[in-house]
Amino acid sequence: MQTLILIVTLLVMMGVLALIMRAVLATEGPEPSANAPKTRSKVIWSMVVLGLVVSVTSLREWPHTQAGGDALVVNIESGQWWWDTDTTEIPLGQQVEFRVTTEDVNQGLGIYNSDMQLLVQVQAMPSYTNKVVYTFEEPGTYQILCMEFCGIAHHAMTYEFDVVEAGA
Amino acid sequence: MSTIDISQPAKGDGLIKLTMLLGGVVFLLMMVFGLVMRAQQGGWLDLDPALFYQLLTAHGAGMVGSAALSGAAILWYFTGRHVPLRSGIYLAFLGLFLLGVVLILGAIFVGGYGGAWTFLFPLPALSGGAWEAWAAIGFILGYLFIGVGFLLFYLEIGIQLVKRYGGLLKALGWHYLFGGSAEDVPPPTLIAAASVLVFNTIGIVFGAAVIAASIINLIWPDFAVDPLFAKNAIYFFGHVFINATIYMAITAVYEIVPTYTGRPWKTTRLFVGAWFAVVIFVQAVYFHHLLQDVNIPAWALAVGQIVSYASGVPLIGVTMFSLALYLKGSGLKWDLPASLLVLGVVGWSIGVIPAIIDGMIAVNKLMHNTQWVPGHFHTYLLLGEVAMAFGFAAWLVRDKAQTAMSALDKLVFRAYVGGGAGFALIFLWSGASSIPRRWAVHYEAWQFQSQLATVFACVVVLATLGLVLRYVRGLLRSA
Repeated sequence: MQTLILIVTLLVMMGVLALIMRAVLATEGPEPSANAPKTRSKVIWSMVVLGLVVSVTSLREWPHTQAGGDALVVNIESGQWWWDTDTTEIPLGQQVEFRVTTEDVNQGLGIYNSDMQLLVQVQAMPSYTNKVVYTFEEPGTYQILCMEFCGIAHHAMTYEFDVVEAGA
Repeated sequence: MSTIDISQPAKGDGLIKLTMLLGGVVFLLMMVFGLVMRAQQGGWLDLDPALFYQLLTAHGAGMVGSAALSGAAILWYFTGRHVPLRSGIYLAFLGLFLLGVVLILGAIFVGGYGGAWTFLFPLPALSGGAWEAWAAIGFILGYLFIGVGFLLFYLEIGIQLVKRYGGLLKALGWHYLFGGSAEDVPPPTLIAAASVLVFNTIGIVFGAAVIAASIINLIWPDFAVDPLFAKNAIYFFGHVFINATIYMAITAVYEIVPTYTGRPWKTTRLFVGAWFAVVIFVQAVYFHHLLQDVNIPAWALAVGQIVSYASGVPLIGVTMFSLALYLKGSGLKWDLPASLLVLGVVGWSIGVIPAIIDGMIAVNKLMHNTQWVPGHFHTYLLLGEVAMAFGFAAWLVRDKAQTAMSALDKLVFRAYVGGGAGFALIFLWSGASSIPRRWAVHYEAWQFQSQLATVFACVVVLATLGLVLRYVRGLLRSA
């Protein structure tokens, strides 16, 4: 997914760059046509319409998944500079609701797979419990990394847990 | 609309030139800090993590500060061409700013403060033994002095705009937007000045509130602030403040580019409408920093995503498109100031794309606080605001006898663009590789990207050194 995001981003950046570079490279060329204001209106309205479509499409199903009734609840406590969970073994294919908090400063819970690809994240905040829902589709060892700067050992704030097949 | 000669010297120009020198030197120094951090992440250095996070804090605060200082100098210079501004106020602003800088640098390099420029509550008070409370207080007080300086700065601009136009709404041009007469409508620079003073004053007031709360918490730890409220206030202040730097610097494009194209930047209803949108969007969009704070209302997260996208419309549809129309067929002869100013708009416009995409909640779940984030802000700051600032500085000391770009200017410009683009793109690639931001030590698998970034950073530093030296030479020539 991240690679797709990168490719789409680079393509849009190149599109915008091409739009302005046409003018940058044409300072010695002909003046803008009389239709330029209309073209500008089209660009603005196209952006507005595209924005509406993207917003509706991407928000119609709320991106922060809500837990189902049979979700497994896993509590995660944290602090400078540690994580602790109820369990270090999570069943494969089981929807999990992580309930995350911290005892001192803001932290960021990032769950990584064995390829060090970020799967999901949520902020951890003192006095609050934040929930994030995820279903693991692959067995193996996963890591929690801290995604919010929290002091001098921020980079060392890691933790491991396993996703195991039922009956394993 | 009045036409003025922006080249005519005015009282206080010396202060502006001094400011741009300070800004340029600090930009350069902060870039060196950035280079050191990337080299550390690439495994080429072995810094103590405490020092790394001090450099991170200095780099963030220093870059934001230099961007704000250079943006303010640009805004003051051009606003002062349209309405009288008192140099004494600018001197007070500069003095308060420098006092703030001294406190911040002392807090970091004497007191060991390394809580990042965003000082998320209650981190300043909970260092885990890395720094004492006085260092955190010094750092935050530094912000307070800079904020007071800016309030004074905006107050003076506000007073003079109100005197000239009979009210802030008229200075904003909103009467014209809603069907009023085009007579005596303010020029683009003053509309920008009025807009920035409105939203940045509000931002600084929110910043002051959380600064005061943090200082009290540091002195009396039992005094607690709701961390979610504090986070909202910090990101509101931080987002508005850093955006204001670009919105101040863009006035250099409005004023200088027309001297090359012979086409004045005009105040149209579309232009005023775009700034009207900016005033609202720049304040409403900060929720996109909180998309993984699922304990805030869902509507706020949706606003963050939608306004994040909407913010790109006035930039690309109005500012960038207008620049394209002003440039096309204008016969503009490229020199270093013109090239850097146009680069500033180009970098800003393409830099918002990864920001907008990261502003989508579903994407943010995978990209938030990865290196994607410095990827987008380095694009629109390094190739945006900073380019505009150096473009303005180069124009200030331009040699009028030189009408084309020298070979050295071309080399410096190309190195700046190539190095800056490469540096920012590697951040985006690293973000897509899930590498978290703000880590003092990187796993071996992440180091190659950091090493490549270090090479690009060297190119940017050398190019920036060239820009600073060229500016100093220009200052000496014009002295």
